[in-house]
Amino acid sequence: MKVIRFILLSFIFLASFNTFSHNPEDFMIAEIERGQMYFENEEIAAEYGAALKRQRIRRLAAMPFYKKFYIFVKAGFEHIIPQGIDHILFVLGLFFSCITFRALLWQVTAFTVAHSITLILAAQGFVQLRGDIVEAIIALSIVWVAVENVLFKETSKWRYSIVFAFGLLHGLGFAALLTQYGLPKDNFISMLLAFNIGVEFGQLAVLLIAFILIKLIMKKNWYSNEIKIPASLIIAAIGLFWFIERII
Amino acid sequence: MKRLILITALLFIVSCQQESKMDPNINPFFQEWNTPYEVPPFLDIKDEHYMPAYEQGMKENLEEIDVIVNNPEDPTFANTIEELERTGKLLSKVGRVFSNLASSNTNPKLQELQRDLSPMLSAHYDKISLNEGLFNRVDAIWQNRENLDLTSEQAKLLNDTRKGFVRSGALLSEDQKERISEINSKISGLSTSFGQNLLAETNGFELILEASDLEGLSDGVIAAAADAASQKMDAAESDEEKDKYNDKYVFTPHRSSMYPFLTESTRRDLREKLYNSYVMRGDNNNDTDNKKTAAQIAKLRAERAQIMGYKTHAHFILDDNMLKTPEEVYDLLNKLWKPAVKRAKVEVADMQAVADAEGQNFKIAAWDWWHYSEKVRKEKYDLDESAIKPYLSLDNVLQGVFNTTNKLWGLNFTEIFDIDLYHPDARIWEVTDKDGSHLGIFIGDYFTRSNKRGGAWMSSFKGQSNLDGRERPIVVNVCNFPAPVGDDPALLSFDNVVTLFHEFGHAMHGTLTDVKYESMAGTSGPRDFIELPSQLLEHWASEPQVLKSFATHYKTGEPIPDELIEKLLNASKFNQGFINTEYLAASLLDMDWHTISADEDIKDANKFESESMKKVGLIGEIAPRYRTTYFAHIFSGGYSSGYYSYVHAAVLDSDAFEAFKEAGDVFDPNLSSKLRSSIYSMGSTEEAMDLFVEFRGRKPVIEPLLKVRGLDGSE
Repeated sequence: MKVIRFILLSFIFLASFNTFSHNPEDFMIAEIERGQMYFENEEIAAEYGAALKRQRIRRLAAMPFYKKFYIFVKAGFEHIIPQGIDHILFVLGLFFSCITFRALLWQVTAFTVAHSITLILAAQGFVQLRGDIVEAIIALSIVWVAVENVLFKETSKWRYSIVFAFGLLHGLGFAALLTQYGLPKDNFISMLLAFNIGVEFGQLAVLLIAFILIKLIMKKNWYSNEIKIPASLIIAAIGLFWFIERII
Repeated sequence: MKRLILITALLFIVSCQQESKMDPNINPFFQEWNTPYEVPPFLDIKDEHYMPAYEQGMKENLEEIDVIVNNPEDPTFANTIEELERTGKLLSKVGRVFSNLASSNTNPKLQELQRDLSPMLSAHYDKISLNEGLFNRVDAIWQNRENLDLTSEQAKLLNDTRKGFVRSGALLSEDQKERISEINSKISGLSTSFGQNLLAETNGFELILEASDLEGLSDGVIAAAADAASQKMDAAESDEEKDKYNDKYVFTPHRSSMYPFLTESTRRDLREKLYNSYVMRGDNNNDTDNKKTAAQIAKLRAERAQIMGYKTHAHFILDDNMLKTPEEVYDLLNKLWKPAVKRAKVEVADMQAVADAEGQNFKIAAWDWWHYSEKVRKEKYDLDESAIKPYLSLDNVLQGVFNTTNKLWGLNFTEIFDIDLYHPDARIWEVTDKDGSHLGIFIGDYFTRSNKRGGAWMSSFKGQSNLDGRERPIVVNVCNFPAPVGDDPALLSFDNVVTLFHEFGHAMHGTLTDVKYESMAGTSGPRDFIELPSQLLEHWASEPQVLKSFATHYKTGEPIPDELIEKLLNASKFNQGFINTEYLAASLLDMDWHTISADEDIKDANKFESESMKKVGLIGEIAPRYRTTYFAHIFSGGYSSGYYSYVHAAVLDSDAFEAFKEAGDVFDPNLSSKLRSSIYSMGSTEEAMDLFVEFRGRKPVIEPLLKVRGLDGSE
């Protein structure tokens, strides 16, 4: 009943502004058959999300290269600061484990190389892992490095391999977001690179800030007990909370 | 959550290249739109802005009319007709946005608004069209028209304006006016119940089948029928009713359910049952029977026409059309009828041959048509849609239609990326003329979504006029093509491509328009004419040379092979006897119902219908596309005495395209520019037939259409 009224109303509305249906006939039948429009919010949101991605890709494709590159560097950076709080915690976890700058540099490099590898592989579609699993293990990786900081004084030998392994996972996390966002087909590799550069800048910025804040007190004898261990415990607690949150 | 933030942030970076200049505290409809090209500031417009703007718009509109009516000066063309053109700016500003979005991107709130607004608006427009003071001024100018130095455009505007008042009853006595409004409200009530009855009848029948009744049906069709049954089960209230649908398959007289069944099922008895349920809708002598309702509507319409001074309702309606009298319409339909029925008889013979070869022992009947025509199609016209689609990506097709208008008229399309529209799938282009000047804005919104109405249409967000400076239009095409899956481009069917060209033809009519007065711009012409600019453009889509230029494989870049084009064009001739016969039968039925006189009392609608069909010699294997009792277009929609328009426009477009064929060049420069100057740019500033004759040098003929549809005896 409402449908028919809707059709009649539509005619009035359409007529008043000269709207032309392709084949009003098919359209009328389609309306009768379809019945009243019902609105599934989830469906509309999913359609909207897919349309947004198409729009982004169209807009990106029309941009000059430097602008696109800049946008992806910025996107990568912002994925660390301010949105990537779990990545920040992971990097801070690495930071607190190191007494020397040299050790830190090696660990960060291992992490970077690893997540670059999986980011590229996953964005190309060679590797795939369920998003919720990746997210949960990322939370667990934060707990791991933080707990290690509390238990061991020295950086352990296998630490580099573990950091490398976690890096592989973090890369999958980045990739999931990046595919959702959509990479322009024409400059696939360069934009991937740009995004990665942004991520590196973000990480370096976190380390730099931490370094400036902590440098002066690092050599104090109370540093370990009053800063490093409590901070690591807090990081571990947050990581644990996320892990539980993400598996249920 | 985190992902959402990231995505919004990324989006923000990409999309927010423009900042809104609108004051967020004021309703955007009450502000100047300093947006690029005056595109509506969609992001600033919220659902709650419409109603206040409509109310204010109607108020202002009436005040403006009062100023015109109370002008102490004598009525002149400038102080009355031209001033009328300037009224209602706010109302149209909000109305264009609302009516577009209520169709293409609606929500429950907008639908509710639509229901509230409809009676408000019709009351508002009644106030204007029944304003006596206003009519008297218009009439005084019209009476004196010979002494005024009017351009032909102005003369037509004056004439059309007065005619609008007269057709709303301005010349009638009070008694007559009262009777008309009585008739109108009766018709409106009857139309509503006609529609309700039809819906009830369509939903009232179901063919519930066992697994053993599904012979011949494909997996997809079976799955849909099983789905229908389980939906019925979910909706059922009692266990008993649930039982009825348990493990069953349901088909209904809805076309989307019936056609696949009639095509595939090898069970002739069940085909007959379902088919009959369809053609008997509204004819079951029950509460929802439509026979009397239809006859009453026709009689009331005849009476109304007589009061208005016309012989019949058809005369009244056609007075506003390109074909002016029922005689002209009958003449056209009758000329097409013979070749159509002749072809249909050949199709019956082809099908009978297939049935006989199968060893069947029956004569092809109406319910066999789909099943056996499908067998003929597979044999003679087979076409693999999936082989064609990869050549028809949306972007390629758009490029194809843009190039077509470039070759015809030198137009150029530049996509704009920094304007935000009402939905991210809607795209926007600036259209420039061959000298580089701005011609208009084109918006294309192509993919289907759950808050968009079905079908495809053209509309506009801004009109064109040259009254107070050069105002160029913003037009929009909305379609329902399937959205792309994953990262592949959107691939269209050839049907979709034709639809795209069709709507684009309307869009060009709305873009190339170059008239002084907005009410006569673009697509404002009569219904049996306005499909010419759209259907005409379709011809270029199926022109092999054009098709080859844009239909390239989305992966390999290879152009579409010749043999595929040949198959594609051949397929369009399939079943044309049937299609045209059922359509023409319904058109004739429409005309017959609306050429009755007011004192004719039609007791039996069925008898009326069968006599009407017998008169022309409809064959038993075909029913009219719509029988009286479910002809919603004419009894509950707005197409009375107008169903013929589709074929009339087809005659026009085939004949117009024939001119290019005769010239030996589908982009012949002389013809192209003539097409623009005499049809696409003219709006309704001249009589439609005059426009056609201006282009073609003579009145339209039907032969080119017969050839296009394979009804010229060549098949």
